[in-house]
This record gives sequence, structure tokens and C-alpha cells, in this order.
Amino acid sequence: MDFYFGLAQTLGVHTLLGLSVYIVLLTGQLTLAQAGFAAIGAYVAGMLTVIAGWHIVPALAAGSLATSLVACAVAFPALRVRGLMLAVATIAFGEAVRLFFFNFDYQVWKGDIQVGPLGGEGFRQIRFFPENGWSTLEVMLFVWACVALVMAALWWTDRSRAGAVLRAVGEDEVAAQSVGVNLTAVKVSAMTASGAIAGLGGGLYAHYTTHIEHANFTLGLATFAIAYPILGGLSSVFGTLAAVVFIQGFLVEGLRFLGDWRNLLFGALIVLAMNLRPRGLLDAATAARLKRLLTGPGGAP
Amino acid sequence: MSALELAQAVFDGLLFGATYAVIGIGFTLIFGVMHKINMAYAAASLAGAYAALLILLFVQAPALVVFLLAGVAGGVIGLVIYVCCFRFMPLAAPLAPLMATIGMLMLIDEIIVHATEGMPLPYPALFDNVMLQLGEFTLRGDLLLVFGVSIACMALMLLLLYRTRLGLATRAVAQQPVAAQLCGVRLTRVNALTFLLTGLFGGIAGAMIGASVGTLSPLLILPVTIKGLIVTVIGGLGSIPGAIVAGLLVGACENLFQFLRGVTERDIYVMLLLFVFLVFRPGGIFAPGRGRD
Amino acid sequence: MNLRSRQLAFACTAAVVAVIGTGAFAEDRVVKIAGFNGKTGVGRSFGLNAEAAMFAAADTINRSGGVKLGDGARGRIEVTFYDDRCNAEEGISVIRRVTSGDAVVAIGPGCSNVAEPLYGILQKKVGDTSDSGLQMPVFTDGAIKVGLAKISEWAFRNVPNEQEMYKALFAWLRAQHPDLHTVYGGVEEDFAHSRSTWYAVMKERAKEAGFEVKGETKWLLADTNFATQVRELKAAKADIVALAAHPFTACGVLKEMRRQSVKPKVIVGLTSASSLETLRGCAAQAEGTYIPTSYAPVTKEAAAAAEATARFNGSADLHSMGAWENVFIIKQVIESEAVLAKPDTVAADRRKIRDGLAKLKETDGLLGKSVRTPDREAIKPFVFVQASAGQWKVAHTPTAR
Repeated sequence: MDFYFGLAQTLGVHTLLGLSVYIVLLTGQLTLAQAGFAAIGAYVAGMLTVIAGWHIVPALAAGSLATSLVACAVAFPALRVRGLMLAVATIAFGEAVRLFFFNFDYQVWKGDIQVGPLGGEGFRQIRFFPENGWSTLEVMLFVWACVALVMAALWWTDRSRAGAVLRAVGEDEVAAQSVGVNLTAVKVSAMTASGAIAGLGGGLYAHYTTHIEHANFTLGLATFAIAYPILGGLSSVFGTLAAVVFIQGFLVEGLRFLGDWRNLLFGALIVLAMNLRPRGLLDAATAARLKRLLTGPGGAP
Repeated sequence: MSALELAQAVFDGLLFGATYAVIGIGFTLIFGVMHKINMAYAAASLAGAYAALLILLFVQAPALVVFLLAGVAGGVIGLVIYVCCFRFMPLAAPLAPLMATIGMLMLIDEIIVHATEGMPLPYPALFDNVMLQLGEFTLRGDLLLVFGVSIACMALMLLLLYRTRLGLATRAVAQQPVAAQLCGVRLTRVNALTFLLTGLFGGIAGAMIGASVGTLSPLLILPVTIKGLIVTVIGGLGSIPGAIVAGLLVGACENLFQFLRGVTERDIYVMLLLFVFLVFRPGGIFAPGRGRD
Repeated sequence: MNLRSRQLAFACTAAVVAVIGTGAFAEDRVVKIAGFNGKTGVGRSFGLNAEAAMFAAADTINRSGGVKLGDGARGRIEVTFYDDRCNAEEGISVIRRVTSGDAVVAIGPGCSNVAEPLYGILQKKVGDTSDSGLQMPVFTDGAIKVGLAKISEWAFRNVPNEQEMYKALFAWLRAQHPDLHTVYGGVEEDFAHSRSTWYAVMKERAKEAGFEVKGETKWLLADTNFATQVRELKAAKADIVALAAHPFTACGVLKEMRRQSVKPKVIVGLTSASSLETLRGCAAQAEGTYIPTSYAPVTKEAAAAAEATARFNGSADLHSMGAWENVFIIKQVIESEAVLAKPDTVAADRRKIRDGLAKLKETDGLLGKSVRTPDREAIKPFVFVQASAGQWKVAHTPTAR
């Protein structure tokens, strides 16, 4: 069971990363900055629990807040461009953050070992969970509590005016502007929220792997992060969740029995999935059908 | 830290920038002229270079033959990418081809790793031990060749785009696919052919990179992708001469930053350079007329 | 046949069947060992070779009668190999999967960036009930980064001790070449292993041996342009150049050195570069490079191990042979600690194996006896190899301590 709890932890953190892209994708922008945001959240939360001795909850909150501030600051210059240029700008940002942590040293003595970020060698001994006796089940529930909170927030946003505004900007910027939507405000808010969510994900990542280094936060992580909402479809937050389960649960862990072939099938199955369902696993039509199925017949025809 | 050493470092970087230029022109053609995001382009180009090495298993082929074969292989792989990632995608789902090319990138990377067991392979090179003396400075001969090849590719590409019917059709399809079809342009045929051609240029670029670095390794795929994207953006999306100038500029700046601030901080400044361009000159060095992405 | 002889024949047959029957029954006990390493990316060859070595070792043990278990029965070793893709999250997932199963020990990982997080989720101190870390002995064959086993009492390593190796190498070079005085380093800065090996090991040991270390030049793991770095190297005019780099960049630097006509008297390489990779990438330019390694086919055992691994399509090098040795050490511990390998004794067996590994003062290695240190590391015998005509040839075997 321990294995499944551990897997659920991974699924939870990756769902957060996916959701952080989801909210920006709704506004029609492609962002590959998640690795950078996750790194900031991870290092800040890690430093707070390890060096300052904080409890995990305020540490994660602080990490998330710090990341959202950086996201907000970066959003203003970055959002002057769109499309591919924005994607490249966010890649550049992500790489710059990674390289910053590659150069960042801050060591303190804790007992008989030194802890803290040590540039290229990483940040070791982030052992809040094991040191405080949290079982794998408890950590998993904690991670999923955070995920549920974020998903609920995004679900509620989707149902409110804010969600409509986000999607309007995503569909057609000119039309949205002409009804009085402040494009910059919407896009910057989306990016800030994205930073907060990814920062939270990064903080959790740091604590369940106990050791982070700059090489964890490369373009590869950002690529996975955008894969989830694109593969899952933008019509619902559950699409991202479905995609995380598909990729991390099925492709990465489930296909282990295939041995060597697993790695080859990974890319091939993603290509196949996008060809078969270009609007995502849970596109608008499927979501509507599922809803009918779940709420039962008897709804309005 | 003398001025001479600084100048030599910049020269070294400028010359190595020729390898960025040669891959950048393919990137800018795909991203800027065809408006397609093909994240697997660098991987496909390097895969073409790898594939060309297969001939060395059978016969002691000269370097030039290997380079040309790399182009052919790159073209074939480009066609495969078109069929797998673009051909069957509805126009209204722009993110789907992007994701499919990312899947393709992972697939190509894994195929290379499986075929070579992840180990670096030496690549045939021309003039790789030739060093030219220019006054106080030494220049790498093989990089001058790479520069020559990129100029030749640029000339060929511009010729293709602006003097042939295929080029006309490509530009038409990129700007107004529906109108182009109404004028009798066969969409899939034109797209397939352009992917084939950009793959060809990409394969040759991959071979040039292999020859300049001396070894091919899967480690190259991600950095070449990122460099290609940076060069495309700085040079201006769709500007082929811009890609060459940007490639040389990025190469020179890299070495300059490395000389001044050390290797661990070098790339931070390259990213900042990109950011500066995006904020102050989003169209790139040679911003083409339209500028709307 | 009369009744007496028929009864006798029946009794004999019954006896034979009984013996065979109980024999087959006894053979049914399986000792499960989990192996894991990265089989993707640039480290794929390490994973493939480690896998082959482990299967070969298990096969060799099983063919010569298997392992003697605590209740007198014999068991055979069964290896299950997992690919962690050199990725921390997957390594953690693999160890959780293994811990949830019935393997009694895990041999791996190969990548230092997986080992460090993985050791972090193990129980730090044995018997600490407030620590919810995993209780699974992990016996590492590949991850070389300095000082990792300290992280948990369940973590053990059988990897070369680079401090000892380079100390001996530089001392030997000093003795062999009294006319050489200066050393200059080349470092891969963004990879934990190569970086710490230059600063904490090569640099210090070279100074200790009496060399003047004139400095170092730096690059990154995936760099391709070394013109500036090699110019710095050239300007330093050092007698010995020490490259703390993996084959890809090492080959790049060596090719650039050729280009700029930089010819140091001696080149020293990184332990991990003493494998097929370097020779495949740049045999000509690497000619003459000295590297200390904990594996070379110089003893009967080493040659036999290489041959067995080759039968499973792997090649023998310092990392894969670490995996081979580990399987045999586990066999020794199983026998000395009376491990039972029954479905209901898994947790107890794991604890026995951990305690058994902790008790060991020395182990059998392919080149001789290895010493086990109190912080769960190993000091393995080593030789110096030199790249010569496209092969690694043994240049010197330091005398045993």
C-alpha cells in the first residue's frame, strides 16, 4: 500500500503543476515557466522548514506567496509578447531561475552536518515529514488536501464571472477588450495564480523527495507541466487530473512491466493520444457526456 | 584579463555561433514562415546526423558523404514528423500539434539513446584540426566551413522561398490557408514538401553540429532546441538572415559573458539578453514587416 | 521377480522419489533481490551493464547450489531489475514499490542525484520509532558522490573511494615523474560528482603529493565549446592536466587541446571515465590518460565475472562490477545472519541483512579484499589504468595495504 500512497503523492504534486499551467492556458497563453516557479517554491519552503524550523503549512504558504510575487513581477514584461515569443520568454525565465539556484549557496550547521542549498550540489536533508513521523498515508492526504483546495478554487472560478473573463481572453482578445475586459490585469492575475500554485507544488516536491537540486527544475519538468492540461483538455480541471493519472500513473508506473519498451512507448503514446483526441482526453463533448452520465438521465434534453 | 584575450574569446564565440546559425535558419523557417511550432526540430536534425553514421558501419565513407546523408535522413524524419504531428490535426486545436511534437521529441530522444546506449559517438569532420592565424588571433577552420554552409543554406532557402512556386505556395499556405486552397494549392502536398525540405536543412545542420563538437550525444538535444528557439526569437521570427546574425551574436555573447562572469553564470546573462530583446525589440533584429504573431 | 525383490524395488523407488521430492521442495525457496539503475538517457549503458552483472551474479550463485538459509534449506536468488531513469521521483517510487513487495534488499541506484533523495526517505536511525522512513537496506553499487551513506543507517555503499585512489595516483605520479611539478584542473561544474571530485579530492590530494596546483578551468556538463577554457589551460603551462569530467565533455576538451596544440606531459581522468564510453568517443585524443579504477580484469575472479556478465550482454566496468560484488556480499550476509527468506519473515530478514552489512569489516572484491568503514562506505582495492591503443591497460597495481 505504501507504494500506492507514494504514487498518489507524485500524482498530487504533478496535478498542481498541471493546474498552474491550466489557468494560464485558459487565457490563451503558453507558459513554460513552471519549472522556475516550482524551484522558487521548493527552495523557499525547504529553507524555511530546514533552516528556520518552521512547520510545513506556513512554510508552504510562504513559498507559494514568494513565487506568486515573482510571477507577478515577471508577468508584466513577459506579457508584452505572445504565442511562441511568450513560450520562449518563459523558457528563458525558467532557465534563469534554475541557474540562479545553481549558483546559490546558503549553508548552516545542523547537528553534525551542514544543511542548506549548496549550489550545484543541491539542497539535502529536507526531512520534515520523516523527522516528524508522518506516515506515507498522512503525507499523501496532506498533498491531496492541497490539491483539492486548488482544484476547488479553480472549479469555483470556472463557474464564476472570473472564469468567463479568463476564457473570453483566451478565445478572442479583441472581442474581450471591446467589452471592457482589462487584458493586462487578467493575464497578470492568471500568471500570478499560476506562480502561487506551482510554488505550492514545488514546496511539496521538495519535502517528499527530501533533496532538491537545480537539475530537477529543467525544461523537462516544464514540458510535463504543460502536457497535463493540453492532454487533459481545457474544458475542466478534471481533464488535467485525468492526464496526470494517464501519464504518471499509466505511462510511467503502469508500463513498467514492459521493461525497456516503456521509454519508447512514452513518446509514441503521447503522439497517438494527441492525434486521436486533439482537444484533450476530457474535451468539451466528453465532459458534457460524463456530466449527463453522472447526474443521471432526467436532465433537460 | 587583457583586451587581446577578451577579443579572442569573443572571436571564438562568434565562430562557434555559426553552429547556432545553421540550426537557427531551419527553426525560423518553421516557426516564423510556416507558423508551426515543431519542438522536435532539433531532435530530428540530430537524429538525421546520427542516422548518417549508419553508413560508416558498411563502408569508409568520406565526411562529405556523411553530411549529405544526414540531410537525406533529416528530410525523411521531417516528413514523418509532418505525418504524425500535423497532418491529421484540426486547425482549431493549435495546442495539439505542439504537444504531439513534444511527444515526438521524447520518442526521438529515446530511439537515439536505445540505439547508441547513451554513449557519445565520434563524428567525421572536415578541417577540424585546421587553425588559421589572423594577426594575433587564431580561428578554427572547421567553424569557418560551418559558417560557409549556413550562408549557402540561407541563399538556397531564400531562393526556394522567393523564386520558386513551392516557396510561393508555402508562404501562401502560411498566411491564408483557406484562400490558398481556393487558389488551387494542395495544402497537404505543400506542407509535406516544406517539412521535407526543412528536415533536409536540419539534417545538414545536425551534421555540422556533430562535426564541430566532434562527438554526438543525446545531451545535445535539449540545449540545441533552446539555442535554436533563442536565436529564432532574437533574429526575428521568419527572418532568415536574422537567424544567422542572431546565431553569431548569441555565440559571441555567450563567450563574452563566460569570460567576464564565469561559466556558471554565463547562461543567466544569455537569458537576460533574450529578455531584453523581448521587451525592447520583440520583433527581433530584423523585424519582418508584419510582426504580428 | 519374487515378492521380496519387488518390495525392495518399490522401497528403493519410493526412497528416491522422496529424496528428489524433498530436494525439489527445498529448491523452491527464493531470495528476492531488487536491482535498480538508470536505463535511459546518457547513463543507459550503466543501467544495462549493472542489470547484466546482477543477473550474471545470481546465475553463478544459483548454479553452484544457491544460498544457505537460516533453517538449513537452500534458496536461489531471484533478481528483479527496475529502471529509475536517473530521476529522483522515480527512484523514490521504485524503492517504495520494492519495499511494499517481498525483496529483502535493494541494490542500486547508479545515479548520485537519485541516491541522495532516496537515502533521505529511509529511516535515519535504526529502531527510531518516531521516524517514519522506510526500513529497507539499500546497497549501492554506482552512485559515487562523496559521503552519502551517512544519511541513513539503512544505506550502504560499495563504491570506489576516490580520496584513497587519487591520493595513491598522485603519489605514484610524483614518484614516477620527479621532473613534473604542476597540476591544472578542468572541472564539470554542474554535476555533483565531477565537481566534488576536483575540489574535495583531486586538488587536495595533488597538493598533498607535493604538486603545485595552478588552478582550474570550468565548463558545464552539456557544453560544446571549450576554446576559452583550453586557452586558460594552455596559458597555465602545467605538467599534469586533471580532467574531472565525464566522457562527453572530456572528449570535447581533449579534441580542443589537440586543435590548440596543448600537450601536457600527463593527463589524469575521472574514475567514471575509465569505461568504454571514453574510448568510443575519442580513443585517439585520450591516449595516455591515467585513471584509477576499482575494476580491471587482472585477477581470476575479475576475468570470470567479466565473462559471466558478457554472457548476459553486459560489459564489465567499475560500476557494473560493483553490482556483481554486491550480490555476492549479500549472499555472504544471508548465510552469516541466518536469513530465512520466507513470505512472513520479510521485515525481519531486511533487518538481519542491514545488521549483517553493518557488522562487516571487510568484504571480498574482485581485485582483493575491500575494507568497510564505520560510516558504511567501502575502501576498495584499485589499479591505475592507462588508455593505450584504444583500450584501458593496467599501468600499475598499488601493493595491498
